[in-house]
Amino acid sequence: MKAGRLLAWGGVVALAWLARGLLLPVFLAAALAYLLSPAVAWADALAIRRSVAVGALFAVIIGVLVVVSFLLGPGMVAETAALVDRLPALARQIDVGLNAAVRELAETAPALRRLLPEGGDWVQRFVLNRGPGEPADLFEHVGHLFLLVILVPFFAFFLLRDMHRLIALAMDRLPPQHVETSVAVWRELNGVIGRYIRGLVLDGLVVGALAALGLWAARVPYPLLLGAFAGLANVVPFVGPLLSAAAAGLVVVLTPGQGLAGVGRVVMLFLVIKVLDDTIIQPFTIGRSVHLHPALLLGSVVVGNHALGVLGMIIAVPAATVLQETVRLLLEHRRVLARRDLRGRPGRLAA
Amino acid sequence: MFEQPLPRWLAWATDPEQVRRAPFLSSSPLFTGLPRRLLARLSTRFFEKVYHPGEVVFEEGDPGRALFVVVEGVVEITRATPQGSYVLNTLGPGDAFGELALIDDFPRSATARVVTPGRLLILYKSDFDALMEGNARIAVVMMRNLSRRLAIYARRPPGVMSGPGPSSETAGPL
Repeated sequence: MKAGRLLAWGGVVALAWLARGLLLPVFLAAALAYLLSPAVAWADALAIRRSVAVGALFAVIIGVLVVVSFLLGPGMVAETAALVDRLPALARQIDVGLNAAVRELAETAPALRRLLPEGGDWVQRFVLNRGPGEPADLFEHVGHLFLLVILVPFFAFFLLRDMHRLIALAMDRLPPQHVETSVAVWRELNGVIGRYIRGLVLDGLVVGALAALGLWAARVPYPLLLGAFAGLANVVPFVGPLLSAAAAGLVVVLTPGQGLAGVGRVVMLFLVIKVLDDTIIQPFTIGRSVHLHPALLLGSVVVGNHALGVLGMIIAVPAATVLQETVRLLLEHRRVLARRDLRGRPGRLAA
Repeated sequence: MFEQPLPRWLAWATDPEQVRRAPFLSSSPLFTGLPRRLLARLSTRFFEKVYHPGEVVFEEGDPGRALFVVVEGVVEITRATPQGSYVLNTLGPGDAFGELALIDDFPRSATARVVTPGRLLILYKSDFDALMEGNARIAVVMMRNLSRRLAIYARRPPGVMSGPGPSSETAGPL
């Protein structure tokens, strides 16, 4: 019996290891499912079958995506094409600037000369050699992207449709004495993760829209693209806002006629957005879903980065919150049971 | 009486489980007076679990985190005393127990044990709190129903143990 159970667990671990490539699509699908779950809960209250509700929801989302891509798509494509066209010239410009800075530093502090790198085409090499070199690589990249686009909604559909059944099945298998705490842990975690993901997406949308509007008003080139990047980067705590401000700043530096005043405007804009985000937007969007001490929050992001890179930084905060909530509930459970045992356990009535 | 939540021509899209659950909850004294729309929202928050005879739902002194509603079967509520344990009440379909967990954070004041094969609905405290915070009507109706149960319990003459019966109106709060 014990050997059989061990074998089964070994099989599960081996399967999980073989399917590790599915981690990203499953994670993104779970995030999408959490994002859409309030709509499904609303349909549940109207007694609509899950499969019908989720199918209708996906049809609406596809419709909205088609309309949005018709409205914003041409502008985004034009900005991306213009940026790609200008990329070699931009990289050359940055290299010239960097070489000049290195030369100036070497002349000012000759002692550092040996430590400084030789001048070269750093950015040009970095940017222009990034593209897939071989047609096979190109197919691989496109294949991965295609797989994500197909797999994420596919998994999200089934998570939304069947997750409640899986949870009910798991609850049914639990020994009765663990049901209450298990329901508590599941509901708390479900609530925390759901609120965090929905809040994060809403926060990213607002920050992205504010950045795009502000950049457009400041006459910075590629406002849509930079706004979309700011919204996306916002999901990475601490680093995201810095990256989006740096990207916009770099575009301003490389745009003739913008000068230092333009950089100042961009820095001020991102500073205002950050302050608005921390004081007004986040309390409304993410709100009370995260109760982490700032040091723990920063530590979890660093650990997440070491473990899983950017994905780790994104999931660090909800993962740390989930861990903290689980430990709190289990410790509370143990404490109450210990207090009961101390007072004298009442007679067990059940056989 | 509960009308069909969707138009007749959309009957194929109706979830029979959900259609059954909301009217069932309305028959429970704890949820009396809740409008259909709110009851439907509340019913989506319940977990359902099958219990076998003899299984203990919770024990006296356990941390209380959820409310239970009997869908099928019989549940016995007992309390231990130095003289031995005695049956406080016997509950049947539609009866709710463990409702004090929705109000305070004290440990369970009695033990609940399933006597015959049964199914219970489980509502976690935080789900209930979230619904109450979002809707004052639920809060008012639920608090009135809970107060009524507490009042019935408080008015019972001391030493009177309730006999077996389907109504939880005579049961003490847990």
